[in-house]
Amino acid sequence: MIANAARRRAPLAVLLDRQSVFAWLMMALPLAFLAALVGYPFFYGILLSLQDRPVAHVGTFIGLKNFQTDLHDPIFWQVAINTFVYTGVATALKMVGGLCLALAMNQHFRMKNLVRALLLLPFIVPTVLSTVAWLWMLDPAFSVVNRLLVALGWPKPGPSWLGDPTLAMVSIIIINTWRGLPFYGITLLAGLQTVPPELYEAAAIDGAGGWHRFRLITLPLLRPIILIVTLFSVIFTFADFQLVYVLTHGGPQNATQLFATYAFDIAMGAGQLGLGASVALAMLPALALLIVALTIYLRRD
Amino acid sequence: MTKRVTNHPTTRRGFLNLAAAGTVAALSRPAPAAAAEKTITILHESSFIKPFDEYVVNTLAPAYEKETGIKINYEVTSVGSLPTRISTIAETGSGADIAMNGLLQVIQFGEKYLDVGDIAGDIGEAQGGWYDAGREAVLVEGKWKAIPFSNIGQLMNWRTDWFAEVGVKKFPETWEELHEVGKKLKAKDHPFGFELGHGFGDNHGWLYPLLWSYGGAEVAPDGKTVVIDSDETARAVDFCREFFKDTMLDDVLGWTDVSNNKAWMAEQISCTNNAESILWFAKREFPEIGKVTDQAMNPAGPKGRFHLLNSISHSIFSFSPVLEEARAFMRWLMEPKQLGGWYAIADSYYQPLLHGYDNAPMWSVEPRNLPYRDALTSVHLPGWPAPASRQLAESVAKYVVIDMFAKACAGASTKDVIKSAEAQLKGIYRSA
Repeated sequence: MIANAARRRAPLAVLLDRQSVFAWLMMALPLAFLAALVGYPFFYGILLSLQDRPVAHVGTFIGLKNFQTDLHDPIFWQVAINTFVYTGVATALKMVGGLCLALAMNQHFRMKNLVRALLLLPFIVPTVLSTVAWLWMLDPAFSVVNRLLVALGWPKPGPSWLGDPTLAMVSIIIINTWRGLPFYGITLLAGLQTVPPELYEAAAIDGAGGWHRFRLITLPLLRPIILIVTLFSVIFTFADFQLVYVLTHGGPQNATQLFATYAFDIAMGAGQLGLGASVALAMLPALALLIVALTIYLRRD
Repeated sequence: MTKRVTNHPTTRRGFLNLAAAGTVAALSRPAPAAAAEKTITILHESSFIKPFDEYVVNTLAPAYEKETGIKINYEVTSVGSLPTRISTIAETGSGADIAMNGLLQVIQFGEKYLDVGDIAGDIGEAQGGWYDAGREAVLVEGKWKAIPFSNIGQLMNWRTDWFAEVGVKKFPETWEELHEVGKKLKAKDHPFGFELGHGFGDNHGWLYPLLWSYGGAEVAPDGKTVVIDSDETARAVDFCREFFKDTMLDDVLGWTDVSNNKAWMAEQISCTNNAESILWFAKREFPEIGKVTDQAMNPAGPKGRFHLLNSISHSIFSFSPVLEEARAFMRWLMEPKQLGGWYAIADSYYQPLLHGYDNAPMWSVEPRNLPYRDALTSVHLPGWPAPASRQLAESVAKYVVIDMFAKACAGASTKDVIKSAEAQLKGIYRSA
């Protein structure tokens, strides 16, 4: 009787009970999703970049000619420098600022939870909306910053935040930092809360001051989280589009043109899909190297 | 016992079975009888003049549906996103039947557009003939790939009260004269504000005409030879640098299209290049400013007076499933009754490219708009005198001419900026 019951179990059920099979089955849907929405556009983008492909025309294969064109395009090099500077400085500022923010938020004070929630706002508000608000704040005629500076003696009408190439780069770095600090802050705060308080107590008993406790306990334990957050932040900042598109559209004179905005102008403005794809793909080597470097560094621990 | 296990919703297997059965049942329901009503979808970019879009939805579409039973679906896309939207439709082969074109789309998508020469020919004959600008805007290899609709002129807007303060009653005739007036006005804290940043229209509206009025050009009429490196271009660049330094706000180097409208309403500037939107908006929202705002043609340079052809036209996608209906609709739309009403509702923000409207009543509504009509005989597409081409579109999208002038104003030498513009154009036109 028992033997009959065992034989009556459907072969499919037996198969599904094996963990390896079940695991792959569960992953099948997300993998299919990724393949369709990330993999397909990625490989199609590579295909496009190897073609001369004006919009609404059939593409002709031209090999690496688009990349050659990019290398000879002085704007491309300016865009590369802009993107590296923008990403480097903004990430450094966000890392330091985020850490300070997290340390401050880790303290106990009244309305702690309300303040934590409010601090998240710059990250949650849609970028386009907050950038339009910044547009008003950076217009010398309406800028509260300029009013203050002029009152303190700066010649009217104050600095031209979006007209001067250097100041324009400073402006987008500031706005990106303002927007990204909460991301760093909240994630590092979560990390801080996993540090066992006994470690601090033991260190305090041994006579370690605040700075020593920070350097020898907090930082080492936070390192993996800092690296992960930095990885995400660098990827998002490197490929940033909305902020620059709304604020300056790459101006003045391409001082704030990034890979993503330049690729968009070429592909959608000029209708050169192949050339635009090649500019967008130029982001890949730098990002890939960075991810590999960070992953190795992380694995080493 | 087995039956209960397999079909009862509270067991996992039972739930899955029921869900599968339900889905199959839903999918196998016979499709509803196909709608007999036909629909034509028109794509338009959101107009600065709200009543213009509303006129289609509230007046034109219902009228056409009453006459023919065909529904008109008027799709509006946000400002600046028209090229992207048309790209998507052209690439996927569906989404709209008729599209509005800006100044570059006819050349970029010409291959997906129907040849509408017969319709355009009939319209031209019936309504006084097309301006040359109309032909320039829509002819691709000799074929009419769109029906011209209008120009959106970019002309000089000036403050009559402040100009009067420095003794100027009529708008200056030449760039040099305007320069002199600007110096005086800047000294009185009423500087000029011409866009030199990466916008879509207010920068092209004066910088290409400036280049042409000094005799400069990007590419020769053969469409291949890059001729930007010339004495004429150098003179235009030198003038622009002095003009910027002596008359303008520093911030204009980073201005996009909304900046000069903002600055005008905030009374920061006394002169700029813009479409009719400043006057239109000022009259409604800031009447005091509206009273002292006037419009004038671009100043002339040594080689003439020019304006930007910022053309709007309509094309029919050749893959549209309702081709005959779309053609019939375009004929109806461009008839005087419909067209005249549509032009008039936007004051004269859209300047007709048919001579039949040269003396239409719409021009007497606001005499200050007349310069926009007079400018129609001297308008050209960016890239002129070269014919429209994909290289021209690339040059505009990469801001070659704009940045050449802007970099000079920011301090670079004339030689350097021209050389770098030439290198860019040579790269762009390498495949011409």
